[in-house]
Amino acid sequence: MMDDVEGELRRPEGDLDDDHNLSDNTSSRRNRKSMFSPGIPMCVETLKETGFHQSNRLCLERIREAMLHHRWQEAAEFMACYPQTLENTTRSSTKQYKEVIWRLSTEILHHHHNSKMEDYNNIYERIKHSGVKHYLMISLEHSFHMLLNGHIEDAKRHLLAAESWRYGRESTDQYQKVKLIQAYRSLLDYIIWCDKKFTLSGGNFNDPVGNQEMQNYFRQASVNLKDILKNPGVWDPFILSYVEMLEFYEDHDEALNVLNDYAYDNNFPPNPNAHVFLYQYLKRHNAPGTKLMKALKILCVSVPSHELMLEYGSLLLQSEKASHLPKALGVVLEMLDFACWRSNLDVWKHLKAVIQKLQLREDWRKVVLEKMAGRKDWWPVLHFTSFHARKDSEENPELMEVKASLREVLCPDITLKYCAAGSSS
Amino acid sequence: MDQRFPPQLFPSFYNSGPPDSLPEHCAGNWGCYDRVRAEGGSGPVSNWTFTPGHQVRGETWRHTEPVPVPLLPPKRTFVSHSKPPDPQDFREHMQNFFMDHSQDAFGCMGEILSENFNFQNRKTENLSSRLQSNQNSVNMWMVKNVLGSLDFKVCHRTYRSRSLNGLGALLSDAVHSVPPELLGSLLYEELTEQRERMLFSEGATGGALAFIPFSEGSSSQRGCLLYPGNQGQNQLNFHNVELQHHRGGSSVLTPSVDDPVRFHLKGPIRQISSASLFNNCCVAVRSDHLCGVWRFSEGTDPRLLQVVSTTEVATCVSASPHVLGEVLVASESGVVNLWAVGKGMLKVREEETNLYFNAKSSWRWCEFSAHPRVMLYADRTGVELTDIRSSPARGHTLFRISSTSACRSGERLILSRYLGDAHSFHHLITTQFSAYVVDERFPSVPMLKWDHMMESAPLFCHVLPGSASSGSVVGGDRTTKVVLGSYSSQEITMLQYSGGRVEACFSRGPPQALHRPRESLKLLPVQIPHRLDTATNRLSSPAAGLTCVQKKGAEECVCVVQLTEAGDLFYQILEPDRPDAETSRPPAAETLPPEREAAEHLSQDSQLVVTDTSSDGEMIGPTQAAPRFVAETPEREQLSDSEDSQRGQTSRWVRQLGLNVIVNDDPEPHPGGELDGAGTDAAEAGKEPSGAEEPLCSSTSSIPVVPPEETPDVKLSKDVLATWKRWLQKLMKKSCGKRPHPHLLHFTNSTERLLHLPVEGGAGDPSEEERVQSLRRDLRVCMSKRSLLLHDTVSLAAPDAVPLPNVVDTGAWKDELSQRLTLSWQGEDAWRAWWEDKLGLNKEEKVKALRRKRRREKAVKRASSQRLELSGSFCSSVSYQDLGGFSDSCGWSSAASQGAGSDSEGMMSQSQSELPGARSPSTMICETPVPTPATTPARGRPVDQRTPSSSCLRSLSQKPEVTSASLKRSRRPSGDDLFTPQVRTVLKEESGLPSPRRTPRADLSREDFHWSGFSQSLSQGSQARPGLSQSSQASQKKKKSRMGF
Repeated sequence: MMDDVEGELRRPEGDLDDDHNLSDNTSSRRNRKSMFSPGIPMCVETLKETGFHQSNRLCLERIREAMLHHRWQEAAEFMACYPQTLENTTRSSTKQYKEVIWRLSTEILHHHHNSKMEDYNNIYERIKHSGVKHYLMISLEHSFHMLLNGHIEDAKRHLLAAESWRYGRESTDQYQKVKLIQAYRSLLDYIIWCDKKFTLSGGNFNDPVGNQEMQNYFRQASVNLKDILKNPGVWDPFILSYVEMLEFYEDHDEALNVLNDYAYDNNFPPNPNAHVFLYQYLKRHNAPGTKLMKALKILCVSVPSHELMLEYGSLLLQSEKASHLPKALGVVLEMLDFACWRSNLDVWKHLKAVIQKLQLREDWRKVVLEKMAGRKDWWPVLHFTSFHARKDSEENPELMEVKASLREVLCPDITLKYCAAGSSS
Repeated sequence: MDQRFPPQLFPSFYNSGPPDSLPEHCAGNWGCYDRVRAEGGSGPVSNWTFTPGHQVRGETWRHTEPVPVPLLPPKRTFVSHSKPPDPQDFREHMQNFFMDHSQDAFGCMGEILSENFNFQNRKTENLSSRLQSNQNSVNMWMVKNVLGSLDFKVCHRTYRSRSLNGLGALLSDAVHSVPPELLGSLLYEELTEQRERMLFSEGATGGALAFIPFSEGSSSQRGCLLYPGNQGQNQLNFHNVELQHHRGGSSVLTPSVDDPVRFHLKGPIRQISSASLFNNCCVAVRSDHLCGVWRFSEGTDPRLLQVVSTTEVATCVSASPHVLGEVLVASESGVVNLWAVGKGMLKVREEETNLYFNAKSSWRWCEFSAHPRVMLYADRTGVELTDIRSSPARGHTLFRISSTSACRSGERLILSRYLGDAHSFHHLITTQFSAYVVDERFPSVPMLKWDHMMESAPLFCHVLPGSASSGSVVGGDRTTKVVLGSYSSQEITMLQYSGGRVEACFSRGPPQALHRPRESLKLLPVQIPHRLDTATNRLSSPAAGLTCVQKKGAEECVCVVQLTEAGDLFYQILEPDRPDAETSRPPAAETLPPEREAAEHLSQDSQLVVTDTSSDGEMIGPTQAAPRFVAETPEREQLSDSEDSQRGQTSRWVRQLGLNVIVNDDPEPHPGGELDGAGTDAAEAGKEPSGAEEPLCSSTSSIPVVPPEETPDVKLSKDVLATWKRWLQKLMKKSCGKRPHPHLLHFTNSTERLLHLPVEGGAGDPSEEERVQSLRRDLRVCMSKRSLLLHDTVSLAAPDAVPLPNVVDTGAWKDELSQRLTLSWQGEDAWRAWWEDKLGLNKEEKVKALRRKRRREKAVKRASSQRLELSGSFCSSVSYQDLGGFSDSCGWSSAASQGAGSDSEGMMSQSQSELPGARSPSTMICETPVPTPATTPARGRPVDQRTPSSSCLRSLSQKPEVTSASLKRSRRPSGDDLFTPQVRTVLKEESGLPSPRRTPRADLSREDFHWSGFSQSLSQGSQARPGLSQSSQASQKKKKSRMGF
């Protein structure tokens, strides 16, 4: 009766628009337009619009406007009328409208001064069960809401319910949502496991019932955690909890395996934390220096500014190998390139230590020159101007001293003003 | 602290591949927590805390003013139209070209054909030339009229010439210098391009506005504002400004009195990029083919260091935050150069194509990063980190349009910005839908994503670093704020986030839209239409830059400055919300929101007033203003009267001040152009034209209409209003001179000599002439002073006084016919009443009335002792007579009615006495809602609920649901019934109300005939006032139609 034919017809057109790498000229022009003035979907007047559609659209616009300007009371009043839009019989867009209603109303509840948990539950439950397409997403959000409000048990129950939910063909998005739900459920299992461990640690670990319970939680959690770690992604919280449990049950091979995969699998994004976790694990289990250095070396390539590079530098410094000393110099110099380390006393002291050790060797000038070759035209400006001198002497005289002593070594050919202001004062 | 990488990031999937989702809805990611991270170590369950990826609450920042404020007086400029041109209009443009530049359009062929066309009138030419012309030329003098009419707006079908049409058909393919097909297609292309440029101007990316802070004062933040000036935006201004902020007091951004330091450039300024180190500042400026670098610091004048020209259009310039004097320049050729000022250019990267897919765009962008020799290279498809030390530059992906970053199809990168001030490893990347924070240590996975929900893509941004104390969310820690600005729609959106150091980044609070200049006119006093046009046009020119001035310390605030393409600067000041500021606001849950309340009052009261005045019409008689007038005015007047005190105050004093702006003197030259006299200029000079101020109490004076939806949460302050007033006045003055003359004049028939009187005594009587002249002069003076041309100001002889016709004394005619006729002038009711009187139909009623009157007089005597002090409060209120009539006659126990009356009326009278216009009784009646007892319970205030006592309670008990339902209905939706219309439906059904839209007043008036308690009193009342029976019928009719909803 009130079918929004235009609305339905609009969709396929939008579908055509998204061919961004194989597009001929005409569609590129269309793309340009859609690119730079996207308009607001659902707030655009359609050709065949009934009064019902129009009032809904205007109401939505008002709500949006009020919310963007943080006039929550006004938005809440309009929102009270908006759910009538669900009476719209247009098939194609009801899913979006439900989602919109859910999003708007939760956000308003977030900011409404007397919103209660029941209101939230009401909204979450109603929208969750009003359509299959967004069930998983809203379930996940609902459990997040409970977690944030301290209802861990309820959250777990909801996640369990969502986990067992199946509907039709799984899309990628749905698959990922299911995996996330499982992983979060396992994370909660882990938290309960921690709780049990904590209570047991007070008494003794010989309590068979408690141990069995813990074991159960571990098993429940590990299945899903192991599972999600197979998908490329960022899984810091999951891997940490998984490794902790594995370490508790002394399954070191598995733990190392998981951490190695996380750090070195090329399908995974280059997460610096993956290397950090591996390094920390190795360090915890007293791995030999070469293994530690290997882990840090790879981290150094991707994140030369990482704070672990100080440890890497000292490892290299302590090592007996001759080739490690120039490497240590390179690592520290690279750290000093970055804005955040430039006035850090520890790094400069470290640099001084490296240089002092290096100076024991015959060819130290050559090594320094080699490392400084690429830096000689901008390092002076970066570290050794009179402005730096003034600032350092005011804020950190010790740093000033260290830097001044290194000035000659690092930039021997250039006269620098670094000391001019500082030494006189 | 920046060196710390968050030890735990939020979990997410990593999907390489093109994006596949479509923009679906307009709710962005409202209501989402995104992801949750657990913290707490291995303790008991209760130790664990959870952090969401999107925290519900951010800091609350409130505007100090409801509108942006202009910083500088308006300058003369080219203002393009606010609407982008429609490419389909090319025919109109062609026509204009043919008309205005006919020499260019038809010159060549005209020259050739001119020999063969003869435009001379046959009568006037002499014989020889006629002979000559007859041989080899076409006579065209007949066409001349038609050609002449082209200068006017006429109907071209009426004024056409057959011969011209014939010639047109014959020669149309030959006479044009440029073939019309070619011209048309070129114009179409041009218009299309112009349209696109108006919607989205690539060149403006980055913004041509910058602020360089100087050392901070105690109560103010000083600094230098860099902005383009001049008509072509080709003048670089270094202007010192000062931000002063006092909580509770005024906060202003004031430009210094000294003239800004100016530099003239060869092209319009597109982007200004600046970097400061140790109080030295390096400013890089980009125009289309030129880039320049200036250096300056506090206390020294800016100095131009070097200018380079680029062969291709430069798209980006970026000054290095590490080494002063290093600048990156990107151009449309795809080359990025590292420009060490004074040393030369070094090509660091070149890309022929787009990075990740073919986006058919030659826009390139570059930024510095945390490492001085690693830079960002961006185009519409993504961003790469490029190490410029290795010589075929190596790059690796920092960000790309893909499904990892949850992009939507068609999404493109718009802007990238290094957030060095906030976090040395963070970059902001915006697309037309989202904004991302990317950490360069963890490339290709964004740390944070917002839906910025802006209408058009954000081209400008400014970042306000938060305090980096601990990185956690406790205590006085401040969020980092990202302010995004868009081009064509002028939107400004503020986003907040925290983290990035000891914990992962998380966004805080929903995006907040700030004010736009184009919307400010709604909140300012009303302008007269053609000024409104000019002002709207000027204010809605697209934005060209954005920057912020941040003042830290005890009274911290943020001033957002926006530049428009017209060269105007607008600023708005935001201050953090404090809890004590919150309490001054009315608690939102208990009262209706002002606008809603006002609207309800309006709808109820206007009806009430209309019905009541029509019934009161005859009783009050001559003192009452004409009913028609009354019926019209209440709606307008109520708006301001029934508002709650806050808004009432605002609008009242807006009215006071605003009137000066409304009664805007018209500096526009008249067609003759003589009236641009001194009077207008004096008024223009910004002083209040004192003589021009209209008295405010007149109910017809224009009230600045604040649209109910746009209720400002902050009041417009006096200074701001004055600033705007001056600004608008200057704008009018500036723009009036260059208003283009209308292209076509209207074709008028001359009536000059059509009728004229025979002049006595010769044509030029000097005295007569002089009198006319002096009269004109007087008239002009009066007009400029906006006073009336009165007789005593004119030096004319007094005209003969025409005696007024004698007043008709209807009493003189005694006969029945005359009486009847006289009465029939007063309307049908009076006439009918006369007949009823005459025929004795209402004898019984009269007797009853007399009896009732006596009873009432007794009651009055009884009650008068108690009511003495009360009547005083009623006196000032409007409804004295009315209410008195009711409470006297009906069965209300007097004590109860007093209680009720004093409750509601006391408030009413108080609000009344505040109003300056409510003095004369006649206006009072038409202005105020007349609170009859019947409406009091219906109004649904809990206070009023205790009004009915004894008899009234009895009468109400017959319809108890009405009250409860209406009470429920009028209560604001709060908390539990926010989104459950079902609940309301149920309520409605329970209460047995057929329609929710019927007003409570209607409910009661319908019932009043059946209410035993009331019926007597009402019928008495209706007899005391003959009009009531009809008016109640009328109201019944009205209500019936309303029920049809």
